[in-house]
Amino acid sequence: MSNVLAVMPEIVVTVVATLVLLVDTMLPRRAERGWLALLTVAGLLVALVSGPFVTVPGTAFNGFVQIDTFTTFSRVVFIVLAIFAVLVAPGYLARHDIPAGEYYAIVLFSTVGAMTIALSNDLITLFLGIELMSIPVYALAGMQRHDRYSNEAALKYFLLGAFSSSLLLYGFAWLYGVTGTTEFGPIAAAVARTGLADGPTLIALALVTAGLSFKAAVVPFHQWTPDAYDGAPTPATAFMSVAPKAAAFAAILRLMVGGLGPLGTDWGIAFAVLAAVTMTLGNVVALAQTNVKRMLAYSSVAHTGYILAAVAAYRAGDSAGAAVLFYVIAYGLMNLGAFACLLYFDIEGTRGATLMELNGFARQEPLGALTFAIFLISLTGIPPTVGFVAKVFVIQPVLDAGLTWLAVIIALNAVLAAFYYLRVVVHLYMHETDERSAPIISERMLNVSLGVSALAVVVLGVLPDGLYAWALQAAAPLVLR
Amino acid sequence: MPILSAIAWTPLVGLLAVLLLPNRALTAIRATAIGAAAISFVLSWSLLFRFDRASAGLQFEERYPWIPELGMTYAIGVDGLSLPLLLLCSLVTLVAFIASLGITERVKAYFAFLLLLEFAMLGVFLAQDWFLFYVFWEVSLVPMFFLIGLWGGARRDLATMSFFLYTLGGSIFMLLGIIAVYLNADPHTFDMRELAERGRGWTVAFQIGPFLAFFLGFAVKIPVFPLHGWLPLAHVEAPTPVSIVLSGVLLKMGGYGLLRVAGLLPGALEWFAPFLLALGLVNILYGALLAWRQTDLKAMVAFSSIDHMGFVLIGIAALNVVGFTGALLMMVTHGVITGALFLLVGALYERTHTRELGDYGGLISRMPAFSILLTLAMLASMGLPGLAQFVSEFHVLVGAFQRWGLFVVVALIGILVTAAYSLRVVGQALMGPLDPRWAGIADLRGRELVAVVPLAALMIGIGLFPSAALSLTGPTLETLGALFVAR
Repeated sequence: MSNVLAVMPEIVVTVVATLVLLVDTMLPRRAERGWLALLTVAGLLVALVSGPFVTVPGTAFNGFVQIDTFTTFSRVVFIVLAIFAVLVAPGYLARHDIPAGEYYAIVLFSTVGAMTIALSNDLITLFLGIELMSIPVYALAGMQRHDRYSNEAALKYFLLGAFSSSLLLYGFAWLYGVTGTTEFGPIAAAVARTGLADGPTLIALALVTAGLSFKAAVVPFHQWTPDAYDGAPTPATAFMSVAPKAAAFAAILRLMVGGLGPLGTDWGIAFAVLAAVTMTLGNVVALAQTNVKRMLAYSSVAHTGYILAAVAAYRAGDSAGAAVLFYVIAYGLMNLGAFACLLYFDIEGTRGATLMELNGFARQEPLGALTFAIFLISLTGIPPTVGFVAKVFVIQPVLDAGLTWLAVIIALNAVLAAFYYLRVVVHLYMHETDERSAPIISERMLNVSLGVSALAVVVLGVLPDGLYAWALQAAAPLVLR
Repeated sequence: MPILSAIAWTPLVGLLAVLLLPNRALTAIRATAIGAAAISFVLSWSLLFRFDRASAGLQFEERYPWIPELGMTYAIGVDGLSLPLLLLCSLVTLVAFIASLGITERVKAYFAFLLLLEFAMLGVFLAQDWFLFYVFWEVSLVPMFFLIGLWGGARRDLATMSFFLYTLGGSIFMLLGIIAVYLNADPHTFDMRELAERGRGWTVAFQIGPFLAFFLGFAVKIPVFPLHGWLPLAHVEAPTPVSIVLSGVLLKMGGYGLLRVAGLLPGALEWFAPFLLALGLVNILYGALLAWRQTDLKAMVAFSSIDHMGFVLIGIAALNVVGFTGALLMMVTHGVITGALFLLVGALYERTHTRELGDYGGLISRMPAFSILLTLAMLASMGLPGLAQFVSEFHVLVGAFQRWGLFVVVALIGILVTAAYSLRVVGQALMGPLDPRWAGIADLRGRELVAVVPLAALMIGIGLFPSAALSLTGPTLETLGALFVAR
């Protein structure tokens, strides 16, 4: 019984997903979108509340599952992101004739996968979570069935995703071969004894690093990102760009920092280099984009780099882990928000808006433009927004770990990024509406959810203390002492 | 009553009030905004009666934990270094608010951004925690970005982007510097005073890295040649009140920061002083020569700012009390004078829709009040004895001469060129035959006079009674100067 209680939130989300699919078949087509979204959100809220009440810290299922502060924290992150993603979607789904029930169910299943990653204490649970998180998202990318780009996105995402999963699984097999166990604790003990002395450990480490890098879209394993993000239906992109990335970093924290922590000196430097390359390439390519959706896709690659920099600074201790967690939340709010702001523009197919199509948006939809600007300023990393504090929290452990060169690269990248984010603000505010501007759709649910999250971005930027303290607690069980 | 918080947060309260007013209620919006700025102004100048002039330490301190896990505090206070700039900030911003009455487009958003800007600038001068300082510093970018970008001239896109990117490019390194000194202090702290006490003990080899990072942030803001690229663009494109704030207050944030860092990393400053002197001299010559070459009045005033900021640099490079005093005073007097100049040039542009010097002529016969004030500001700008800027230039030159000897002569060439272009403006625009186009031109209106007369009064007041200003700064700068070996 205690085993079931331990994974109560996951069970709730699974049940809600099934319920949504069932109710979908019973509701008349017209009534479906509003009610299903509400049902989904209500279910997620129940899962959110059930977390702290019914579970007890410790391991469950004979060591396959671990409930600690990290699990609790991550559950909240994934549920909040899913709620946000569901709330912005209904209007777009109805306009583009995407079946809402399937859409919400897929988001929920993917969320269960992400939550499973956070509670994994074993390679098998971890892999289960990763697959359960990824496979629904492939389908999500292809939800706009009659759109070629959406199909392309789904196919590319699926092929490269499957490839990376198999790399990861192969790495797990080597790891099992080397250590003789699949549980993180004993793995850590085994690699601490052997170090990186033998070839097989190196192969295992390389395969696992590459596999997880694919999932998190780290350069040079990011090639699927722009097409998948660009081609997917925009609300799906908003979700895809944040939740799987947050889940990938949960996996990196659990496995690399937790299980393979003793090899930190080896993967640490690799991650530092990968982080530098990732943020630089993401930003440089984003500079050249005129389509905002594609630009945000590349910028999300750049943000992967910032988060990875904090992972690379694992030596700084809790503050590095807390930086990863804090940045993941900040990134989730602002990036999901920025993609969702594109939902204001009524554009054929899945193609996002070009810069020109944003012209004069501020005159027509002042509050929408304000939220968009807040998200962009936060992505740039300017106070008083959560994006700024998140960046400070990352730079602090990076410098603390002695990676001064990486901190300088982060700084240079912040300036590069400012250029393309602000260019969007310039088009929103400083260009008048002209014949190129896209028609605009304003919906109450979109307005409210974007408004609330923009407010959260500012409030967390001014008062980050509570969340940061919690992130520090959540990071504590990861680090080996 | 926590008076400093009241000074800083009043504009933010005003901002919220403005946002709650309906878009159409122009008079109410303007009144609320100016009211908030006026309250800040009155409160800050009331500090003159309560400020202990004999103390070198912080006064009216307030401290609350903010992000205790990393040692960030909401710590504010004033000392002899920040008080003069705080007073300058609240005065010049109030003047800018009055000058903003002419803005007719998107009035609500305009005043909201200007209030946010004032909040950020006041915060920069009040902050006693390096992280808080940095936050206020960066927050000032956002309203400025919109103020130039939405109410600016034809090339405002380019102007506002280059302003933002230059400043961010500098300040992000300052953030690295701040975190580096934070990590080097044991226990870690962002507190300015505590860090200053620890920092003095650090080796020069360590100090140089963070110092350069700080300097990069300040150098863009001051601006130091060759990082000044944003300034002429931003100044020329910005609407008049924004130019006033930009040159009157925003540039001073850089010089102020540099003086603060002088107390934090004195070893590095000593090591860097020769470069600082050289950069300062280049600034003076380059700024003066370029200002001389301009025929656009606004561009001329903008380049003259580069020239005058050079004096701030060599004042700091002097590494003695006299030089520091000159540098600080230079910031104040330049803020007052250049604020008045931008205001007058803006008023003239509003009437004539040209800024070309050659288009004017004989204005004195139609605009006597304007002409007198412009002449006064120009004379003050070239450092005429008896007016404010003379006092600061004199201090800077004496201080720098003590340390660097004859190198300082180069600065005199700058003063000469400044005199040349200042007098040319007076000669060409005000004297000579009246251009028939301007036969019907009106003299300064009531609200323009209200805005500019206090600045003119300060130019004369500080010029005649410099001791009133010097008494504020004395003890703090004495302490700062004592860190450096006299020469």
